[in-house]
Amino acid sequence: MSLFRIEGLVKRFGGLLATDHVNLTVDAGEIHALIGPNGAGKTTLVNLISGLLKADAGRIWLGNHDITPLKDHQRVGAGLSRCFQVTRVFAKETVHDNLMLAVQAHAGSSLRFMAPRANEAELVAKAEALAERVGLASERHRIAGTLPHGAQRALDVALALAANPKLLLLDEPMAGMGPDESARMVALIESLRSEMAILLIEHDMDAVFRLANRLTVLVQGKVLMTGTADEVRGHPDVQAVYLGTEAEGHS
Amino acid sequence: MKARFVLPLVLLVALAAFPLVAPLFGMEFYIGFVRRVLIMALAAASLNFILGFGGMVALGHAGFIGVGAYTVVAFADAGVMSAWVLWPMAALVAGLVAALIGTVALRTRGVYFIMTTLAFAQMLYFIAVSLRKYGGDDGYTLPARPELGLGIDLANESTFYWVVLVLVALALGWMHRATRSRFGHALMGIRDNETRMRALGYAVFRIQLVAFAIAGAVAGLAGALLAGGNGFISPGAMHWTQSATLVVMVVIGGLGRSWGGPVGAAVWLLLEEVLKQYSEYWHLPLGLLLIAVALWAPKGLAALSRKKKAVAA
Amino acid sequence: MTGILFLEQLLNGLGFGLMLFLLAAGLTLVFGIMDVLNLAHGSLFMSGAYVAAQAHQQSGSFVAAIALAVLVTVVVAALLEVLLMRQLYKRDHLAQVLATFGVILVADDIVKMIWGPSPVMAPTPAALSGPIEIIDGLPYPAYRLVILGAGVLVALALYLLVNHTRVGMRVRAGASDRPMAELMGVHVGRIFNGVFLLGAALAALAGALMGPIVAVQVGMGEQILIPALVVLVIGGIGSVRGAFVAALLVGLVDTIGRAFLPMLLRATLPPATAADLGPLFAEVAMYALMVVVLIFRPSGLFSARA
Repeated sequence: MSLFRIEGLVKRFGGLLATDHVNLTVDAGEIHALIGPNGAGKTTLVNLISGLLKADAGRIWLGNHDITPLKDHQRVGAGLSRCFQVTRVFAKETVHDNLMLAVQAHAGSSLRFMAPRANEAELVAKAEALAERVGLASERHRIAGTLPHGAQRALDVALALAANPKLLLLDEPMAGMGPDESARMVALIESLRSEMAILLIEHDMDAVFRLANRLTVLVQGKVLMTGTADEVRGHPDVQAVYLGTEAEGHS
Repeated sequence: MKARFVLPLVLLVALAAFPLVAPLFGMEFYIGFVRRVLIMALAAASLNFILGFGGMVALGHAGFIGVGAYTVVAFADAGVMSAWVLWPMAALVAGLVAALIGTVALRTRGVYFIMTTLAFAQMLYFIAVSLRKYGGDDGYTLPARPELGLGIDLANESTFYWVVLVLVALALGWMHRATRSRFGHALMGIRDNETRMRALGYAVFRIQLVAFAIAGAVAGLAGALLAGGNGFISPGAMHWTQSATLVVMVVIGGLGRSWGGPVGAAVWLLLEEVLKQYSEYWHLPLGLLLIAVALWAPKGLAALSRKKKAVAA
Repeated sequence: MTGILFLEQLLNGLGFGLMLFLLAAGLTLVFGIMDVLNLAHGSLFMSGAYVAAQAHQQSGSFVAAIALAVLVTVVVAALLEVLLMRQLYKRDHLAQVLATFGVILVADDIVKMIWGPSPVMAPTPAALSGPIEIIDGLPYPAYRLVILGAGVLVALALYLLVNHTRVGMRVRAGASDRPMAELMGVHVGRIFNGVFLLGAALAALAGALMGPIVAVQVGMGEQILIPALVVLVIGGIGSVRGAFVAALLVGLVDTIGRAFLPMLLRATLPPATAADLGPLFAEVAMYALMVVVLIFRPSGLFSARA
C-alpha cells in the first residue's frame, strides 16, 4: 500500500483543463520525481496536493487518511509539508527565528500570550537541530534575506522539515543554483530519503536521475507515463515531448 | 535593573506625579487632558496590535471604543454603577462584537478588508445613533463616575487619573508581553508571509480572529474609561474619521513597535491641543504632517529613533 | 399614490447612482491601474461643488460655472498628481491612506478659509427650477432630469471611450494587468496621468451638478467618499462596467431604502421600534449590500484584476 496516493485529480480554470484525471503514488522511502515541459501543470498539481487549490474532482490519500477535504494548513498536521518554487522564508528574521516559527507550529497551541517564546528551551533545541540538519548551524543568527540563494533554499527545506512530514513536496529545489549549491541540495535530499517519502518537481535532469526511484511525466495536465529512470528515458513518447527541450533540462 | 526598563519606569513615575505637580503650575485642567491621552494611548496600542503587529489594516476600530462606552451606558442606565461590572463587561461585549465582525471581515484581504471593517463600524455608528433610549445622536450623560469601592472615590480627578494610569500601564505591559509570546510571533509571521505560515500548518484565520477580538476588547475598555471619565458619550466618537485618526496615531507612533500606540496618541493629541490654541484652521498643519509622515517616515516616529535590532529569540 | 412615489424615488435613486458612478469611475481606474487608494477624491468633488456654486452666483451662467468648476479642479488635480500622487505609487496602501487623509484635512481647511464654515448656497439655475410633468400625475424637478440626462450621457461617453477606442483598450489593459500591459508597450504612466485627470473632471462635474440639491459644505467630500468606496468594492477594482452597475445598485438601494424602509417597518412593527429601526436600516442598507456581495464574490462583481 502506497504511503501517498492521488486518484483522478481534476482542476479546471474556466475552460482550461489544467489537471486531467491525474493518478500518482509515492511509496515510503521513495523519491518520486514529477517532470514535464513548462506549462504542463506541475505547479498546479503541487498546489492541489498541498491544498492551496481546491480540486474539482478526485481524491488524495496520505497513509490511510483521505486528506481531500482538509484545508491546506490542516494537511500539514496530517503529515504533508511543502517548499515553494520561489523561496518563501521570513526574509527579515534571523535563521533561528525562522526555524522557531516553524517548530512552534508543531509543539502545541500558539494561543499562549504571557510566556516569552525565547525561554522555551525545547523549541530552541529543535530549531538548533533543524539548522544543524541542513547545514545552517553557523548561520543561525544571520538575517535570512542576507543568505546566499542556496542557503535560503536550504532554510526553506528546513522549515518544511519542522513538521516531521510523511510526505515532503519539493517544488524545484534546485532552481537558480550553481553546481556547488546543487550538489549540496542533492546531498540534503538524499539524506532525507530514509525518513520520508518525497515528491520532487525538477527541471534539473542530472539531479532527477540521480535521486529519483520513479518518475512521472506530466504533459498538458495529463500523466504521460510513470516508471523508473531507464523506462522513462527510453520511452519514445517522452523523447518526442522532450525533443528540443532536453538541452534546457541539463544544468 | 535592565536598561530597557529605565525609561518606561521614569515615564510612569513622571505620569504618576503629574496630578500632584500640576496644581503648582495652575495646570489642573490638564489632568483630564493627560488622562484622555492615556486612554487614547491604550486604544491606539490595541489597534497597533492588529495593524502593526498583525498587518491587518482595520479602518473601524473606533466602533469598538463605542461598543465599550455604550455597554457602560446600558448598565448605568439600568442602575449598575460598579466599575467591577462596567469595565470587564465593556471589554467582554466589545471583544465579542469584534469576534463576530472578524468572522466575516477576516475572510477578505487588502482593500476589501479595509472596506469591510469600515462598513461594520459604520453600522455600529448608525446603531448608536438609532438608540433613542441612550440619547441617539445627542449622546448620553452618565449620572456619576463608576464606583470602585475599597474607599476609592473615582469622582476625585486625581484618583480617577491614577486608576486609569494603573489600568493603562497594566494593559500596555500585557500587550507588550504578548508580542514576545508564541501568539505574538505567530501573528507577526502571518503579517510577514501568510502563505508560508499556512504551509507551516498554522490556523491563520483562528489566530487573526483571536487577535482581532483581543484588540476589540482592549478598545472597549478604553471606551469605558473614556465614557466614565468624561461622563458623556455620543455616537460621534465612533465616526469613521475617528477610526482614521486612530490609524494615523498608530502609523505616526510606529507600526509594530510596542511604543507606537502611546507615542502616536500623545503626539497627535498634543499637536491638536496646541494648534487649536493658535488657529481655527488647525486641520491644515495636521494634514501636512500626515503627508510628511507618509512620505518620509512611513514606519512612524518610534522607528526613526531606533534601528531595527535582530531579536535573538 | 405609492406607485407615483416609487417612480419618483426610482428616478432619484438613478440620479444619485449616476452621480456616484461619475465619482467611482475615476476612483476604480486609478486604483486598478496604479494600485493607489485616493481618499482625496471626495475633496475633488467638493472642489467642483464650491467653485460651481461661487461661479454660478457671480456669473449667472450655470454652464459656465460647471466648465469653470471642472477646469479649476483638473488643475488642482494635476498639481496634486505631480506633487504627491507620484510619490505614492510605490508605497503601500497604508501610506496612501495616510497621505490622502492628510490631503482631505488640508482641503477642508482651505475651503473653510476661502468660503467660511457655513454651508454655501448653490442656486438651481432659474430655467430648471420648476417641475416637469413627465407622465400624468408625476411632476418631477426639471433639474433632477438634467442630472439624469447628464449622467447618462457621460456614462455613455465613458463606455464608448473605454470599450471602443484604442486609448480605452490601453486603459483596460493597464487596469487588468499592469506589468503585462507595460511589456506590451503600453505607456501606463502616461495613460495614468490622463485617467487621473479625467477622474478629477468627472468628480468635479458630479460636485457641480449635485451642488444645488445637497448641502455644499466642508466635509461633503468625506460624506460622498464612503458611498463611492462602497461602489468601488461592490463593482470590483478596475472595472468601469462594475462601477456603473454597482453605482446604480447603491444609488437605488440607498434612495429607495431611505424612502420605503421606514414605511415598511411602520406597517409591520410597533411604532416605537419602527421609528428607531427605520432610519437605521436605511443608513446601513448599502453596507449590508456590500457585505452580502463580498460574501458571494470576494473580489466584487466585475473585478478586472487577473
